[in-house]
Amino acid sequence: MQSSKNNSMKWRYLKQHVFFGIVRASALIITLTLGGIIFYIVYNGIGAISWDFITKPPTHSMTQGGIMPAILGTIYLTVGAIAIGLPLGIASAIYLTEYAKQGRVIRFLKVGINCLAGVPSVVFGLFGLGFFVIFLKFGSSILSGSLTLGFLILPTIIGASEEALKSVPQTFREASLSLGVSKWQTTYRIVLPNAMPGILTGSILGIGRAAGETAPIMFTAAAYFTAKLPGSIFDEVMALPYHIYVLATAGTNIEATRPIQFGTVLVLVAVVLGIDLIAIIIRSYMRRNKRW
Amino acid sequence: MNRQTKEIIIKYIFLLFSLVSVVVLGLIVFSLFREGLPIFGKVSVKDFLFGMEWYPTYDPPSFGIFPLIVGSLVVTLLATLIAVPLGVMAAIYISEIAPQAIKETLKSVIELLAGLPSVVLGFFGMVIIAPWMQETFDLPTGLNIVNASVILAIMAIPTISSISEDALYAVPREFKEASYALGATKFETIINVILPAAISGISTAVMLGMARAIGETMVVLMVAGGAAAIPESLFDSVRPMPASIAAEMGETPYRSAHYSSLFAIGIVLFCLTLAFNLIADYVSHKFRQIGSGTL
Amino acid sequence: MESNTIIKLKDVNFYYGQSRALTDISMTFGKNKVTALIGPSGCGKSTLLRLLNRMNDLIDGTRVEGEILFEEKNIYAPDVDPVEIRRKIGMVFQKPNPFPKTIYNNIAYGPKLTGVNAGDLDTLVEQSLKQSVLWDEVKDVLNKSAMNLSGGQQQRLCIARALAMKPDVLLMDEPTSALDPISTAKIEELIEELKKDYTIIIVTHNMQQAARISDETAFFYIGNLIEYNKTEKIFTKPEVKQTEDYITGRFG
Repeated sequence: MQSSKNNSMKWRYLKQHVFFGIVRASALIITLTLGGIIFYIVYNGIGAISWDFITKPPTHSMTQGGIMPAILGTIYLTVGAIAIGLPLGIASAIYLTEYAKQGRVIRFLKVGINCLAGVPSVVFGLFGLGFFVIFLKFGSSILSGSLTLGFLILPTIIGASEEALKSVPQTFREASLSLGVSKWQTTYRIVLPNAMPGILTGSILGIGRAAGETAPIMFTAAAYFTAKLPGSIFDEVMALPYHIYVLATAGTNIEATRPIQFGTVLVLVAVVLGIDLIAIIIRSYMRRNKRW
Repeated sequence: MNRQTKEIIIKYIFLLFSLVSVVVLGLIVFSLFREGLPIFGKVSVKDFLFGMEWYPTYDPPSFGIFPLIVGSLVVTLLATLIAVPLGVMAAIYISEIAPQAIKETLKSVIELLAGLPSVVLGFFGMVIIAPWMQETFDLPTGLNIVNASVILAIMAIPTISSISEDALYAVPREFKEASYALGATKFETIINVILPAAISGISTAVMLGMARAIGETMVVLMVAGGAAAIPESLFDSVRPMPASIAAEMGETPYRSAHYSSLFAIGIVLFCLTLAFNLIADYVSHKFRQIGSGTL
Repeated sequence: MESNTIIKLKDVNFYYGQSRALTDISMTFGKNKVTALIGPSGCGKSTLLRLLNRMNDLIDGTRVEGEILFEEKNIYAPDVDPVEIRRKIGMVFQKPNPFPKTIYNNIAYGPKLTGVNAGDLDTLVEQSLKQSVLWDEVKDVLNKSAMNLSGGQQQRLCIARALAMKPDVLLMDEPTSALDPISTAKIEELIEELKKDYTIIIVTHNMQQAARISDETAFFYIGNLIEYNKTEKIFTKPEVKQTEDYITGRFG
């Protein structure tokens, strides 16, 4: 039986060899794709980067000058999104992990959260336009954009917080409760502080997403050009992702502004991946040093 | 107020917070329908969905989104065909084969890939891949289905790979050990034991990856070329639904028929992605993995 | 006898979902006594212990029937706050479970939340640590993380933490099963000391331990209370065959 060709060890290992080769190649392709994209962006963009580029506003109908208002706008929108998404997300996760009992309610909430996570970003944009800009009359503004982005990242933050809360050992809760400490005090004093690093690193990945999204802010907050820096949360802002899009597709002189485009892309990538990378590094450090 | 009442109040406050997600989902539906439904006073649902001509600014305008739906489906399918093998293979590599150090690095790589803003990928496809493609294959334009699909695949790979990896990781060790104990090679164990046991999780991953691709906007806006016609070859331009919404919303008068029709496209898009997500949710709950690990 | 009773169970049944974990348990626990609960794994002894301070409330889908009277009041009555009960009935767990805080803050955590003022806290911490015979070992490192202590020290810290709440009863769920013999001996000595002021109910797997430290012993088997008597009686002249088989190591 062992003599038949299909069953010989040599043949079996050959199949394995080929398969492993394909699997390794796939991993390599993915890595090279990321590497290639980042290399291209850095290679083409680094020339545009200077202190003035980052700190000066654009000039000459955006064909020269810097991108400071766009950087500032992205910071405003991201901070706004965090201010909305983070507290809501953590509170939701606390309900799901600490208070809700397994059953219909939790299932209903989870399906809702999953569906929200699946809503395309452009539909979030339409929602922001229809609800915040028009229905609530906030206009195209930092407020509308932040609310839209905040709800966009809400499912990510809920997911990260849930995972972090669940990883706090049950024995901590039991120890606290057995001392006659109330449920809320236990959650607030024991569970939350121990989950906080995990919640934050997990949420950072969502925050990076908020900084990089374009479609949700297109109709809710972003302006092609603003003469002044925003004075209140009811003003429109420039934003890095939208700036890239307009310069690359609708600018006054697309070819002439290529260096500015690459420079802006580099700044955005540096900001977003920088945020992500910090989260990844902190997380792996924390995992290694975890004491429970 | 005694402590028990206080505890109950706190519990309900948290319940309220966790209902926000569901409320927002409801508000999304409300806004889409509020702004989008008026178009169906002008065209029937059937003509809207299956009409072959999308000329919203002509006089008289024509609101048939069939070419846009086809555009979305074509790029999504092609992107899935590219992303699924790569994503699943990478997941297999990470969970079954790679040494610890490479495993950690590759996971970070995939996470960073997921972190790349869509506008950056769109820019990359537009400025670097498109000219190269146009020259190499002597095409009228490099902004076409293939280009958009490749970039969409890059966006879908992290979703597919990380969820598949969770599914593979959750396959109970006893299964693998049983297979090895019978003298199976690692390859045979992966193909005959591990993949079948994880298949529901991998299906979920594929569904979610497709949902991601079909809803992605900036990439198709910048790279798919924008032609609102049924494509005849893979190197034709298309105008997927999200691209239409994003490109035209800025130029349409408030509450015009065109404006409504864009919201109506939003409804279609929302329903499509919702369907993908609900199927994924159903699959992952209905076909729970056997054994100790569940998704 | 009746006046010395601190906890009394009347026809207690307990269910995890559909399956019954305890059947018709009626028993009394004497004040300032050490009572040991013994029996093979899964016999319900730990479940019973966790019923006494309503820790089983934390598990979804559980149900209690019957009454558990603590100082003549049913702790499962609807108007009773489990938080109040747990302050009077403290618990020490199988595995030491200090919080990832400093030694001082581990002890001070509970009292702080009940409003003990800062000035009294120092005294309370010292007193509790002395009671659990840990003071001399940790008095210079009170602001170091409790996670740096050895397993045995951590368990004594957990006892001190429970004592700081000044409970009437101390429940111990196999408190030495995760410890080395030397730490175990220290904890047993400590129990001997504590019984002057506290009622102690201890679940243990270790027959010698039950015999050494307890005044009364209750033997459980598959959710039933088989025999409950003075410890020396149980270990010398058990009345039921199953008890004898278990104690002499013929099963379990």
